Amino acid sequence: MSEIILKVKDLRKTYGDTDVVKGISFEVKKGETFGILGPNGAGKTTTLEMIEALRPIDGGSVELDGIIVGDNPQAVKEIIGIQLQSSAFYDRLTLVEQLRMFASFYGAEVEPLKLLEEVELTEKAKSRVEQMSGGQKQRFSIATALVNKPKVLFLDEPTTGLDPQARRHLWDLIRSIKKKGITVILTTHYLEEAEMLCDRVAIMDNGQIIALDTPKNLVKALLRRGFKKEQHVEQANLEDVFIDLTGKGLRE
Amino acid sequence: MRSSRLYFSTIWVLCKTLTTRWFRDPVALFFTLIFPVIFLLIFGAMSRSNSVSFNIAVINHSDTPFADSFLDQLEKNKVFKIKDVQSFDQAKDKMGRGELDSIIELPQSFGQLDANKAPQGKVTVYYQEAKPDTGQTVASVMQRVTDGINSKLVATSDPLTVEQKATKTTNLTRFDYTVAGIVGFSLMSLAIFGMANGFPSDKKSGALRRLRATPIRASQLILATALEYLFIGLITVVIMFGVATFLFDFSMRGSYLTLMAFTLLGTFSLFGFGMAIGGWAKNENQSAPLSNLIAFPMMFLTGVFFPVYLLPLWLQSISHFLPLTPIIDGIRMIITENASFLTLGPQLAIIFGWTIIIYAVAFRVFRWE
Repeated sequence: MSEIILKVKDLRKTYGDTDVVKGISFEVKKGETFGILGPNGAGKTTTLEMIEALRPIDGGSVELDGIIVGDNPQAVKEIIGIQLQSSAFYDRLTLVEQLRMFASFYGAEVEPLKLLEEVELTEKAKSRVEQMSGGQKQRFSIATALVNKPKVLFLDEPTTGLDPQARRHLWDLIRSIKKKGITVILTTHYLEEAEMLCDRVAIMDNGQIIALDTPKNLVKALLRRGFKKEQHVEQANLEDVFIDLTGKGLRE
Repeated sequence: MRSSRLYFSTIWVLCKTLTTRWFRDPVALFFTLIFPVIFLLIFGAMSRSNSVSFNIAVINHSDTPFADSFLDQLEKNKVFKIKDVQSFDQAKDKMGRGELDSIIELPQSFGQLDANKAPQGKVTVYYQEAKPDTGQTVASVMQRVTDGINSKLVATSDPLTVEQKATKTTNLTRFDYTVAGIVGFSLMSLAIFGMANGFPSDKKSGALRRLRATPIRASQLILATALEYLFIGLITVVIMFGVATFLFDFSMRGSYLTLMAFTLLGTFSLFGFGMAIGGWAKNENQSAPLSNLIAFPMMFLTGVFFPVYLLPLWLQSISHFLPLTPIIDGIRMIITENASFLTLGPQLAIIFGWTIIIYAVAFRVFRWE
């Protein structure tokens, strides 16, 4: 049985009269990639931000690597890396300058070029964020989240708005981060993305977790319930056609 | 746990990064480094023209030769610029609009000879009730003109005379006096208009939101920004005094070291205001009116554009406690009187008081988004 790094118990968030997160509980194992799936407005980002100590917790508790988030938000920020949904950075600063600055917030030593190499942005070291494409920005954003060698990396809709090539590229990056033993918790509303990357997924709707298992088990359970999809004989879909025609090379 | 050393090293790295970023912004560079110099040039040129003159109109009801020669005398006097008017009413209108400082009226009997064959007459000086100082000055100049004529007529020497001599005991020009106000004003603009907009625009872009996801504390961001602007302020001050020295033969009575140290302290306290406004405001729509609300009264009540002693007494007593007043006063005292930190005690006390209050407020009201 592997170690549990994140314990969420009966977590709640209320804005005015609306319960945005309605008492959810789940656990994440060390080293796994955990996905939170759901339509827009399901409460994914709010859940994530409460775990990240960015939003006050209205009810329930979150324990991350033995730290109670509500009691010690500062200590939690030290050991996690966060990629926000809409990542924004100071303009007029090069990537190297940005990484040095972020490292200083943690008192961490950082080799900016090595970090940029990991996210394949070495040749952009002297560029500024405002000169980069969407996919590059997302990869850089992940690089800034890695400066403190976090135990848990949070990615909030990392591939939203990216073209298929950039998305695949980012998937590879997330897999390589997982290989280093970093726990990854991500939200997405692309189901194939969850299927490709996540060891387990929680499906959220209306502030509640309505299913939680490995992608395979979720599909099996569905079939057991007698679900039948319209028969498809094609072994490819439109996205496969698109990738086949346009190639896998990045466009940026 | 984060040690205090880490706390300050983060501030240092952040400050260096923000300063680098600032120097890559051409608009900020222009408004911060060039604008004060333009301001200085305008004020310098204005305070160079030292001559005082009055616009007057003469209503002459007399046709005596003496009245004519009296008018000739007036025209030769450099203090007066005589303007043409058609009637007394028109002259009054002009004075009401501020185009004329005074109206001189010579009565019909002016210059008529008396029993001793000496000319007689009374000159009337009209001035605006609201400007008694102008009226007195014009009247006393007129008095001198008439005295001059009297003494020629009577041909006796006056037993008592008054001699006027302009003194320049400390060799100070009006510019030396003005420069403190200009420096204070520029630093306040940098603090309140420059930096109060920085935070809101970083909030709008989402850059501060990203910082918030790290362990950095608001106080670290605020202090790093204050330090960044302190460096920029220092450059502004050096440039301004450089221009003042080379273009306006500005004479410095005090020590440059005291001036720099004092200016830095004052600037740091002023930046607290920009920081509090910008840290609190969610966007520029909130920061702009608040900046104006704080900056405008200070512009007029702290001796930037005209001396504080011209204000009514109750305003003067308020003025002394405004955050900008002790800074301008202190700079002026260092420049013109060679004041030291010991003699600047009262100014320093007010500056320290404001610094503590405003930074406590800034830390408290700061919002990340």
